[in-house]
Amino acid sequence: MKDFEAALRRIGEERYHDRHPFNVRMHEGGLGRRAIQCWVANRYYYQTRIPIKDGLILTKSPEVSFRREWVQRIHDHDGERPGEGGLELWLRLAEAVGLERDRVERLEDVLPGVRRACDAYVEFVNGHDLLESVAASLTELFAGSIMQTRIAAFEKHYAWVKPGGLDYFRSRTLQAPRDSDYGLAFVLEHAASDADRERCLAALRRKCEILWSLLDAVERATARPRLAEHALLRDEPDGSRMVVLPERAVRVAGSGVEILALCDGRRTGVDVAAAMVERHPGRAGVADDVHDFLEEMDAAGALRFEPDQD
Amino acid sequence: MDRDVAPRPYNLIAELTYRCPLRCPYCSNPLSHADTRDALDAGAWGEVMRQASALGVLHVGLTGGEPSARADLEAIVAAAAGVGLFTHLVTAGVPLDADRLADLQRAGLRSVQLSIQDADPAESDRIAGTAAFQRKLEIARATRALGLPLVLNVVLHRHNLGRVREIVGLARELDAERLELANTQYHGWALANRAALLPTREQLDEAARVVAEERGRPGPEILYVLPDYFSDRPKPCMGGWGRKNVVVAPDGRVLPCQAAADLPGLEFWRVPERDLAACWNDSPGMNAFRGEAWMPEPCRSCDRRGEDFGGCRCQAFALTGDAARTDPACALAPDHHRIEAARGAGVEPLRQRGAMRN
Repeated sequence: MKDFEAALRRIGEERYHDRHPFNVRMHEGGLGRRAIQCWVANRYYYQTRIPIKDGLILTKSPEVSFRREWVQRIHDHDGERPGEGGLELWLRLAEAVGLERDRVERLEDVLPGVRRACDAYVEFVNGHDLLESVAASLTELFAGSIMQTRIAAFEKHYAWVKPGGLDYFRSRTLQAPRDSDYGLAFVLEHAASDADRERCLAALRRKCEILWSLLDAVERATARPRLAEHALLRDEPDGSRMVVLPERAVRVAGSGVEILALCDGRRTGVDVAAAMVERHPGRAGVADDVHDFLEEMDAAGALRFEPDQD
Repeated sequence: MDRDVAPRPYNLIAELTYRCPLRCPYCSNPLSHADTRDALDAGAWGEVMRQASALGVLHVGLTGGEPSARADLEAIVAAAAGVGLFTHLVTAGVPLDADRLADLQRAGLRSVQLSIQDADPAESDRIAGTAAFQRKLEIARATRALGLPLVLNVVLHRHNLGRVREIVGLARELDAERLELANTQYHGWALANRAALLPTREQLDEAARVVAEERGRPGPEILYVLPDYFSDRPKPCMGGWGRKNVVVAPDGRVLPCQAAADLPGLEFWRVPERDLAACWNDSPGMNAFRGEAWMPEPCRSCDRRGEDFGGCRCQAFALTGDAARTDPACALAPDHHRIEAARGAGVEPLRQRGAMRN
């Protein structure tokens, strides 16, 4: 059992998103205002999915005592009445970093990659049993310390954030350890077989991947993409373009050709999306297409993303 | 033929010369062509590059033999870069040096693949048949110092499979972007030396375990493929015969792969006598194994025929005397027993390239 708990904790040490380059830069003070704003607006979508996920978990347990404990998480997040709770505190953080509250609430600037990551978490819980769902929540084991780091980093490096903005982080330093203590005890007690324990470890790894990919999306949108070094562009007879790289080539067609041309190392991913929206008024889903395209090009190694300092 | 138009070649393998100061016992040079002179001058190669680009080729691998053995390599690189090809030098590192590499980069070189024979200096030199290891390290460092991406290529066999971890370590130290751990393909010299080179199943399993571990650590992308002698399925050799890769040999012959030069009875055409497009599209040799009409059973009705294309024609010929048979590496092939027999055969001493004539 000791080994099992150690294995759970090791997953956090190796894969928790405090190691993600975006978080590392955030905590070192390396992010600009726009990157912080993008993260806050996007992470809000994650916050909105949490009570939904916890509602799904509630439906999986026949135990009164479990539900009584777990429902507290929904109260924590949604508050007992308007103007309270974790979601409200997050919206205050959004205002404190200079975002419009309504716009954040309308989820207007949520990146498609962030949406997919958060929806994948809800979907995971929907499709797995109680034990795996609780195991997936155990990233809270590692959340307490990241909140402490974050509060210190914001006070030190991002003094422009208005007072009161950090109340969400402060509240989580108390809630996360309480929640994770309960979740951990539950998992240790109910994972009875090696197969159960393996399922729990896999669930926690999956959750770490989801959090990681959320930050990947934010990082891509806030960084300034340009053609990968060594890449060669070739025009094809059909109007498409080949990005020729060592050992491989990527075909770019349609609006991709236009998007690629905007990746000049000065615009961020968000800027590229805005430029495309401006060029194609009235066309739906343009911004999402840009972000999806940037993700594909990133995976293919065709673009390089420089962190934005502004 | 079940198709009328030849597929588009994406990659040109330009074998600039068969000359090479190394004498590796698994050399891919054909045994029969050791004395072939370089038939194409830089101007002729430039024309090949232009025609290749027009055919749709994106990458050119400048290889040999040893391409840097040619004094006019810069001009060939410049010609390839000038027509928009991605230029990739495939070198053993000798007789190259850092200054010449910088010249090649100025001429338009975009990436370098360097072969080493082993991570152990003495063993690397023993296999190469010449003291080249230190020079190779210099070339690797010069490549990275110039900001060019580096691919390290190591041919694996019985004598170096035990040092895969050291090889990965060396690739990491040299800041390679990619490490190709290429298990020996048994053609040409490698086939002549098969009994000396063929590893054991245990060696391969251990190497695969090490690779899996090393892939989890920061460092180069690692390519490791189980050799077809042990995988029971044939390799999709060259991505299919005359399908994606076009080889131009030092004598100007246009081939589907380097080893096809040794297949008897096939008529391949040459540049500059004919255009590259004609040689690729229309030569009888190039069309001999395109598509599926040539396939015997069990390939003809096999689900995997679109994935492995019946395996390697050269291996089929080398092991059965008939290039049109199913590659014996396939467990379904009627000749598979030949592969099994080779796996069970005794070990012989290694002979360097060129040594067999003596």
